[in-house]
Amino acid sequence: MQVPIMPAKGEKFIIPIGPQHPALKEPGHFEFSVDGEVVTGASLRLGYVHRGIEKGTEGRNWVQTLYLLERICGICSHVHATAYCLGVERLAGVEAPPRAQAIRSLVAELERIHSHLLWLGVAAHEAGFDMLFMHSWRDREIVMNLLEGLTGNRVNYSANVLGGVKCDIDARQTDAILAGLEHLEDRTRHYLTVVTSDVMFLRRTRGIGVMTKDVAEKLGVVGPTARASGVARDVRLNAPYAAYDRYPVELITATAGDLEARFIVRVQELFETYRVIRAILADLPEGELTVRMPRRIKEGETISRVEAPRGELFYFIKSNGSDTAERVKVRTPTLPNMASVLTLAVGHQLADMPMILAGIDPCFSCNDRMIVVRDPAGRGAHWTWDDLREYGIEYYR
Amino acid sequence: MNMVRGFATTLKHVIEGPVTIEYPEQERPVRERFKGRHALKRYENGLEKCIGCSLCAAACPADAIWVEAAENTDEERYSPGERYAKTYEINMLRCIFCGYCEDACPTEAIVLEHEYRLSFNDRYDAIYTKDMLIDPVPPGVQGTPQVTEPGKFTRSIPDMENPK
Repeated sequence: MQVPIMPAKGEKFIIPIGPQHPALKEPGHFEFSVDGEVVTGASLRLGYVHRGIEKGTEGRNWVQTLYLLERICGICSHVHATAYCLGVERLAGVEAPPRAQAIRSLVAELERIHSHLLWLGVAAHEAGFDMLFMHSWRDREIVMNLLEGLTGNRVNYSANVLGGVKCDIDARQTDAILAGLEHLEDRTRHYLTVVTSDVMFLRRTRGIGVMTKDVAEKLGVVGPTARASGVARDVRLNAPYAAYDRYPVELITATAGDLEARFIVRVQELFETYRVIRAILADLPEGELTVRMPRRIKEGETISRVEAPRGELFYFIKSNGSDTAERVKVRTPTLPNMASVLTLAVGHQLADMPMILAGIDPCFSCNDRMIVVRDPAGRGAHWTWDDLREYGIEYYR
Repeated sequence: MNMVRGFATTLKHVIEGPVTIEYPEQERPVRERFKGRHALKRYENGLEKCIGCSLCAAACPADAIWVEAAENTDEERYSPGERYAKTYEINMLRCIFCGYCEDACPTEAIVLEHEYRLSFNDRYDAIYTKDMLIDPVPPGVQGTPQVTEPGKFTRSIPDMENPK
């Protein structure tokens, strides 16, 4: 239920967008106050796709939780599983073998290609450039097929298990990946030319949504969105996990901070990803894929951070010594980046809003961890079962 | 000049043909490791590999598998060893095709095959019973139950050392 906010007399005009809206692929509610065509203020309401995943982990054992958490995001599912596995392995005091760590990084990087190409398409579509959208999604099929060949699934790969990985990689798959990368690299070079030279496209991106480094630091923006503003931050470099200390990544940053810079950073990151994948394939350590994990995990708590395609993904895991996690807290990169949308919106045309939103690569359903109910009766944020029941009866009366 | 280049691009893509396929008429082959519908395997002599241990049901993150075991006898033998799966049901609406049942199975009895056309008109149709999942009997061999000696089953996982 949405309470209409009436503008004060002659003050401003509020345009509500969402929860269901053609320009939004996932539900979220935005309120833009406008002066003519120019946005003067923005507010956001999330929580429409809250799925109760964190609560769901409390009733499942450690292995079952892995599969639940992998389904937080349909695009970057592997990083969720990796973050969880690394955290639980640290709690249990075991370490996955080097070959498993390398394969984890490999799948994560393949997933980054898939995510960035998907984003490129979606963002181009928001700009009205459907040709780029279709082409980038066509090329995304290549990497999806590679992932299907490697793990058996196009999304939700379930490559990770606690204590290692499930899928091994042989010479035939190595060749397939290398051949696929060859083609993708060629295409990516083309995309880089397109996003930096297509005049119509540049009019939608150049100078739009400029975020300075100071603002980015202040808002705590993460991932490629922050790197496009010149913030040198990448978990793969700052706190190497899995096999990233063995195959170091080079940081890609830009200084402009506008939408064009975000396009450039993400497309250039693709080249870096191709390089890292080739490095991993050229020097894949031999050995076991898994180590034995105990069924019950020692008491303790840990945090685990990985670099998702969208930015830093944060996990807090607490164990009470049983076969179930006591608490798993997930913070996905969309949440800190969402604040930047509201700040950047001010002063732009209303028509630029979808592009600014797409610029952070939002993933609403990953991001929804709680629902705040704005209740006209003023019952506050905590509702008991009786309150909910009463509310339901009232609503359907 | 730009116009010529533009039309040349269009013409190139016309000649290239579509990248999409007409799905129900044409099908894209799945990859070797693709995880689709399950199958319960048999040994060459026709005995079922499944020993009804329920490890797959315990491992299943989605609680999609239901196994009920019963005792083998020499007169009515379904699988090598003491027990066999009397009931084996997988709810395909719950299954997330993670393949953990496959990993958990001590006898490699359950395997995720390549069938992906799984849609149903009724919720009850989505529950695959043992008869639907089990492989056909190899030619020239008697199906189950058989009258045979217990025999041995192969273990897929070597014994591992317990963690310290």
